[in-house]
Amino acid sequence: MRADVTGFRLKIDSMTLARFMPMHLLLDADGCALSYGPTLALVLQDDAKLGARFEDLFEVRSPGGAVTVHDVLARAGNRFRLWPRNGIRSGLRGHGQSLSGDGRILLNLTFIDLIAAVRGIALTDADFATSDLAREVLFLAEANAAVTQELRGLSLRLEGARMAAEEEAMTDPLTGLRNRRAVDLVLDRLCEGRANFGLMHMDLDFFKAVNDTLGHAAGDFVLESVGRILRDQLRAEDCAARTGGDEFVLIVAGRTDPGTLQGIAERIIARIREPMTFEGQECRVSASVGIVRSVDFATAEATALIAAADRALYAAKHAGRGRAVMLG
Amino acid sequence: MRASLAPEPSTGSGMDALLLRSLQSYVLDTFGVASWHEVCREAGQTAMTFEPMLRYEAGLADRVADSAARVLGRPVDAIWEDVGTHLVTHPDREGMRRLLRFGGQHFTDFLHSLEELPGRARLALPDLDTPEVSLDEVGPDRFELRCRSHLRATQRVLAGLVTAMADDYGALCLIEVGSGDCTTISVLDSRHARARAFDLAMPEH
Repeated sequence: MRADVTGFRLKIDSMTLARFMPMHLLLDADGCALSYGPTLALVLQDDAKLGARFEDLFEVRSPGGAVTVHDVLARAGNRFRLWPRNGIRSGLRGHGQSLSGDGRILLNLTFIDLIAAVRGIALTDADFATSDLAREVLFLAEANAAVTQELRGLSLRLEGARMAAEEEAMTDPLTGLRNRRAVDLVLDRLCEGRANFGLMHMDLDFFKAVNDTLGHAAGDFVLESVGRILRDQLRAEDCAARTGGDEFVLIVAGRTDPGTLQGIAERIIARIREPMTFEGQECRVSASVGIVRSVDFATAEATALIAAADRALYAAKHAGRGRAVMLG
Repeated sequence: MRASLAPEPSTGSGMDALLLRSLQSYVLDTFGVASWHEVCREAGQTAMTFEPMLRYEAGLADRVADSAARVLGRPVDAIWEDVGTHLVTHPDREGMRRLLRFGGQHFTDFLHSLEELPGRARLALPDLDTPEVSLDEVGPDRFELRCRSHLRATQRVLAGLVTAMADDYGALCLIEVGSGDCTTISVLDSRHARARAFDLAMPEH
């Protein structure tokens, strides 16, 4: 047998009501306040006076156009959204019901942005009904913030590791110069951007002799020294790479003047020709350089430029080593 | 000893990751970076950092802790209890203390909330392989806390964490970790000292 709930009446004293519904507002049939839940009283502060009119307490955000509590209940069914008029920017959502009998109106409200409300009004545990999920929501917000922060940290650490790996993948470990892979990337980017630049292909002279007579450690010392010279002679925007045993590629950004490029190459050669001392032994090498300019090519293409620089280097070697030849 | 090459993104364990990171923080903060590197080397770990949001081979946390016990000359159980305490008390990890304080207004509420802790943790990290936690009230102010997990560490970490939270709530209690999986907690005085403040609002940084 089903219980007849239609005629069921529940008498509840105001203390119990306050405990179960700390955000309630009880209004008389005219819409004037009869009692406030203790937490709602904290929100409304000085406005929470007995007899205060609903429309003086709240601005109705929805349903649109509603002003009085009767408008709200008539237009919205039983769900509405309010802003307190006291300036506290805490949106409230609620539902309401006219109580049968004397026409009193019971509203129950909740915070739309619980986190902001807890912070702004300094609410405590005791301000929420035990059955309220406020704690769970706040817990979840903090747990989420913690997880997000950890993930952000992880992303930063991974990004750092990725950048280090990328840098390593583009670097020649012996000289600290760029490697072949880096040259290909830089050249492709410059060609795509139709930038002007000079490209030099450099090869050490007599390097094999140093390796054969003084050993590989001396050879490595020479290569490291050449690396330092190239870093000294070129600017940060240029690119110096070791692309093979004693082969180097230099990209001089923005320079097209033949005299300038020739000058840079000769300065590098002069520095490399200076004797280098390794463990008391003198290592003497020189360098030959082939130079091309991007402006000499109708359509700059990395492979064509590299091939031309290679021909220029061959011409330099052929002309007697220790010199720079530009292919016009 | 198996060579462990962490992390294992798809099959590994998230609990191992969290415990490894907690162990790392504890050793770094308490014994310094040299000790931590020695622990990693002893455990055959090439990477010196554990990422809390990744996953590691299940059981790795226990193995690295065994290495820590050898390097630091402390029993592994004591190390894990310290890790649990460190998680709650270290000022940099205020977030953890706050998350636990959401468990309840009083220490006994908090104890009861430990059963909900795995579920709450999964709210934030849905695929976390959380341990099973049960708390039985066996007498007036006497509780038995049990924890089932693939890691030996969890029971000790939980004991250390409860000890630190008792301080936080200002409760005086006796916590005994039994030989099985049972930790006995006797609350002698729930208002022994002033509880540390807990504001529901998240501190703004």
